[in-house]
Amino acid sequence: MRIKLTVNGLAYERECAEHVTLLRFLREGLGLTGTKEGCGMGECGACTVILNGRAVNSCMVLAVEADGAVISTIEGEAQGPSLSDIQKAFEKHHAVQCGFCTPGMVMSVKELLADNGKPGVDEVKEAIEGNFCRCTGYVQIVEAVMDLTGRPGGKGELEHV
Amino acid sequence: MVYEFRYLAPRTATELATVLDDIKADGRILAGGTDLIPNIRNGVFKPRIVVDVKKFQGADRMAFGSEGLSMGPAVTINDVLRSKDARERYPSLCACAHELASHQVRNRATVAGNVVNASPCSDMAPALLCLGARAVIRSATGERVVPFANFFAGVKKTVLVPGEFLATIIIPAESAGAAGRYLKLKRIAGHDLGIVGVLMTRKDGELRFGVSSAAPTPVLVDTVGAKDDPDEAARKVLASVSPISDVRGTKEYREHMIGVYVRRLLSEVE
Amino acid sequence: MFDDIKTADMTYVGKKAGRPDMVEKLTGEAVFVSDMELPGMLHAQLKKSPHARARIKRIDASKAAAMPGVRAVVTGEELDYHIGLYIVDKFILAKGEVRHYGEAVAAVAAETLEQARAAVEAIEVEYEPLPPVLHHMDALKPDAPLVHPELGTYSYIEAVFTPKPGTNIANHTKLRKGDVDKGFEASEYIVEREYSCPSVQHVPMETHVAIVQWARGDRVSIWTSAQSPFTVRNLFCHAFGLPHINVRVQIPYVGGGFGGKAGIGIEPLCAVLSRKAGGKPVKFQASREEEFSLLPCRSALTYRIKTGVSADGRIQAQHMTMYWDSGAYADYAVNVTRASGFSASGPYEIPNAWVDAYTIYTNKPYGTAYRGFGHVEFHWAVERHMELIAQAIGMDPLEFRLRNALRPGSKTMTGETILPSTGNVVKCIEEAARMIGYGSLSADELRRQEKTGWKIGKGVAALQKAPAMPSFTATAVVLKMNEDGSVLVNLALTDYGQGTYASIRQIVAERLGFPIEKVKVAFENDTDRDPYDWQTVASKGLLLSGNAAILAAEDMLRNAYAVAAEALRANPRDLGHDGDRVFVKHHPASSVAFSAMAVGLAMPNGNGIGGPIIGVGRYIAQGLSNLDKNTGEGSPAIDWTYGAHGMIVEVNEATGEYRVLKVASVYDVGRAINPDIVRGQAIGGMIQGLGTAVCEGYIYDQQGRLLNPSFTDNKIPTAKDLPMEIECAVVETPQIDGPYGARGVGEHSMISVAPALGNAIQKATGAEIMHMPMRFEDVWRALTKKEPIDNWITKSPIGSCRSAPEARNRG
Ligand SMILES: Cc1cc2nc3c(=O)[nH]c(=O)nc-3n(C[C@H](O)[C@H](O)[C@H](O)COP(=O)(O)OP(=O)(O)OC[C@H]3O[C@@H](n4cnc5c(N)ncnc54)[C@H](O)[C@@H]3O)c2cc1C
Ligand code: FES
Ligand code: FES
Repeated sequence: MRIKLTVNGLAYERECAEHVTLLRFLREGLGLTGTKEGCGMGECGACTVILNGRAVNSCMVLAVEADGAVISTIEGEAQGPSLSDIQKAFEKHHAVQCGFCTPGMVMSVKELLADNGKPGVDEVKEAIEGNFCRCTGYVQIVEAVMDLTGRPGGKGELEHV
Repeated sequence: MVYEFRYLAPRTATELATVLDDIKADGRILAGGTDLIPNIRNGVFKPRIVVDVKKFQGADRMAFGSEGLSMGPAVTINDVLRSKDARERYPSLCACAHELASHQVRNRATVAGNVVNASPCSDMAPALLCLGARAVIRSATGERVVPFANFFAGVKKTVLVPGEFLATIIIPAESAGAAGRYLKLKRIAGHDLGIVGVLMTRKDGELRFGVSSAAPTPVLVDTVGAKDDPDEAARKVLASVSPISDVRGTKEYREHMIGVYVRRLLSEVE
Repeated sequence: MFDDIKTADMTYVGKKAGRPDMVEKLTGEAVFVSDMELPGMLHAQLKKSPHARARIKRIDASKAAAMPGVRAVVTGEELDYHIGLYIVDKFILAKGEVRHYGEAVAAVAAETLEQARAAVEAIEVEYEPLPPVLHHMDALKPDAPLVHPELGTYSYIEAVFTPKPGTNIANHTKLRKGDVDKGFEASEYIVEREYSCPSVQHVPMETHVAIVQWARGDRVSIWTSAQSPFTVRNLFCHAFGLPHINVRVQIPYVGGGFGGKAGIGIEPLCAVLSRKAGGKPVKFQASREEEFSLLPCRSALTYRIKTGVSADGRIQAQHMTMYWDSGAYADYAVNVTRASGFSASGPYEIPNAWVDAYTIYTNKPYGTAYRGFGHVEFHWAVERHMELIAQAIGMDPLEFRLRNALRPGSKTMTGETILPSTGNVVKCIEEAARMIGYGSLSADELRRQEKTGWKIGKGVAALQKAPAMPSFTATAVVLKMNEDGSVLVNLALTDYGQGTYASIRQIVAERLGFPIEKVKVAFENDTDRDPYDWQTVASKGLLLSGNAAILAAEDMLRNAYAVAAEALRANPRDLGHDGDRVFVKHHPASSVAFSAMAVGLAMPNGNGIGGPIIGVGRYIAQGLSNLDKNTGEGSPAIDWTYGAHGMIVEVNEATGEYRVLKVASVYDVGRAINPDIVRGQAIGGMIQGLGTAVCEGYIYDQQGRLLNPSFTDNKIPTAKDLPMEIECAVVETPQIDGPYGARGVGEHSMISVAPALGNAIQKATGAEIMHMPMRFEDVWRALTKKEPIDNWITKSPIGSCRSAPEARNRG
């Protein structure tokens, strides 16, 4: 089936097999490999992209369903050569270790902040609950988001005793 | 996904009904895909054709009218949670919706898909049962209306037959304003299927319990009287369920927790 | 290596410094193997066993071979390569017999994934199911079926391991110190208990994935998501009898590993497919289900401890028996057993000790290294045991721990003497206790308890671990100066998320005295480019590679100074440098820029001197020895990192539900080179430890089928599972031979989280839990004195209600 969609502000038109997921289409069809697969089952959130304004697990969306859609992925996040505010906050707070969950995590945070500029800690946790991170233990991610929105909480530092 | 299939997206409800009539058992309806796509990925289902139920005119309609709340098959869990009307009139629907999966899944998962999937651990079923909701089922030959109390036929089975689709869910206006709370026991605080889930609603002195993960289908218990003491209430709810032991928990613990939850809810839901 | 320099006097070490891999990872530009596609690449899929143990009667792959797009089909029958790290006991594909559920019996490479999958489904396999041996304790029974009847014929590392042919014992490690019988006689109290934990999964977010091209002339290129490029190359060459120069291993960014990618995995499988497909590159990526059942997990453990204690609460003797469940293959599990054997008491002094540690084969997915290398599992036992002993003798558990903790002058079980510089476990325990207000409940906590009705309890648990590695483990770092005077650092210790490269960069910049922006550590390791490193495991990376980096920096400066001395007509001793140039100290205007010397200095008349400036640092573990096979005596530890966790928990006594209110973790890291990275390791590991403490674990049915090979029923912690408060602190007792005094902490954060939780739950409610994880139901059962749940090898017939196990194992 022939589909048209807008990804990170660019229009694409492609022939696409009907059983192919949006995740695979983005990665293999468009070469946007920033979005990852961690389970292919909707559990881990590594594949999170923003589809018509909503964070979704692209491993459970068919590419053909996204015909006509507007999509944001991690590749569209940086503004030109410089990182976005979310990315800068992640960088500052060491909110990334292996980096495999990071693209999906950033997309979930992006959707949250689009709806809610000043989330509380619990709202941040709820927004990223569907994004597994096995490395960081989430704390530095939550701190990054809270700092970004001007509500830093906790000490956020290693103590020397 | 490594299994191939064709994809159809009818543009009207009538066309959808016709398509379904044509393909019958060869096809599968696709709503949010959060059950269907993982099942196809795992080879549990190998449909030849997948029919999208979200793209016809009005599929995403969510309307509050004299009949109550009616929801088309494309209405997602988060559509419900984002609706101020839903939060105000049907708080227990929202309480259940909020417990379902993760935020991203809720952005795609539909209420209709959740009940048609008919998992014993469906989180929306307790709400639809307690609120007396009805399913409007459509096919090429017409329409029938089935109360959710008669909708579930067994583990992952409903009264739907090939060629039919769930066109509308109606939650009656009379149920608006029912107080309710949903307790779902999970292995972790994050998103998880329930070990057991108990919804209690209270309206005009009438109590209802909707129980998930405790029997082959979600269960409605409407035999508890307002005057029953908590132990009696727990006994009645337990008499209506038949939990099993599985990897999430034993029958014994499930029964214990259902009792605890019934008592907790009776004291907490005003 | 330790220089007694205060952190305040340093520019980068001990200071905040960013990670060098952030931009790539935050923009999605970092390339992982799972993102790679090579020209002409084929995709592999596997046929896997639905049985835990069965004879393969017949495999018919002829239909599959003839299907469209199929370029290679391989079955175990046609391969004869044995693979193994310490005991060479594994085929690339099962041959003759399958030994665990999910084991691969045949593989297909095809043009597309769809074609490969269709072909796999067309392969017919006829099995004769055999009774499996599932529980490791059952595998010890005299009539138990043998998982490896051929054990006696396998080659293994004889200096270190002791397999027992004719049994299911893959290794028996012994340690004997003092006289335990006398010790027990001298004891006032004797406490004997048994503890256990199931197998768990590492769950790297990127599953195992490799691309291998076996090109003409037996030149093999491997791109793999692995931790240790040189170990992959070495084991690969051994398995196929190839010269090392024929094989090149490249490791781009790696999406987590935690030990699960420490050794060799799916690379040989891709290799045989590529060879058969005429040299086309073949990619295989494990599905999440395969990650659980085909790839290795962490061993289950049953640990029996008998302790004799004097009237004043001093441990007199301890008898320890560990039964490690290796699963179907020995892999790292035999070495987990060895390393756990010599550390088996935790950070306590045991004057008379007796340890028997067994690695036991069973028909289950096999065990390997996992963050902590056995220490998470056995500290569960040791630190619960310390609590139960204290209770039995009527002493406060904290006091009991402090009374028996290792101190300068104490002797470890292998006979090493603890020095003041070894680290300070006493202080770690005391600080962790202080940070949670151990011993009583605050007014706020009492109010909270009143309000919720949930009981609050506090517990502590201590920990220790030394790197488990060969006594002669070595590494090297090479620095290369670029034309502009900046420096490229090459090393084969991988950074798969733990942040070592950020610290190495700080160390190099510090030692060179260069601005940190001028130092780049090259990610994407390559055995054809990088100098040797043994493996990225064991929390030895920073210590060994950090030292090598210091030596390399010194070598680079020496080489630059030699050129500058010649150019400036000065004695090298009279030279100094800044980030840009080398100058004569007493005549600073006389100088030469690093950029001018970087690739060879041209004198004004055109003469060239020097040459490209590089620095080489080599470091090998010093003073370690093999352990005596009969007594365990010897020097196994290059360093010991000590630590402790304090935990506050609230528990609902009616249901067993609980919430963690606070975790405080303290480690003696010697020196925190990069405090944010230390904190990231501390919290990340602690949450991972909490996952295995709370809910993670493999559950099998009676036939040995894994019932929860997915996130549906094998949950890991999410952001919502964070404790309400987390505090991390470091004690800094410099490691004399560590880089700037640092020692490793990568694994330690995961150790002893579970017993701290178990101890806090017990303090709150009295629930005595001997098995981890502690699911709410386990707590409820302990509280109501019910039999523990029968699962891990469950009698319950039903798995997940979302997808039945039969459905999962198609193919
Ligand atoms: C990670 C994860 C976590 C989950 N957690 C939960 C949870 O906590 N609680 C819970 O209840 N569920 C959970 N689910 C299951 C799932 O998300 C829900 O059941 C969801 O509501 C299904 O809706 P859907 O629109 O995605 O259905 P789909 O997957 O599109 O469809 C489900 C089934 O219903 C059929 N169908 C759909 N719509 C119609 C219709 N209108 N008429 C006829 N047939 C139809 C489909 O053919 C299919 O068989 C989870 C799923 C995932 C992936
Ligand atoms: S890959 Fe989509 S949720 Fe895991
Ligand atoms: S950084 Fe590795 S999974 Fe999140």
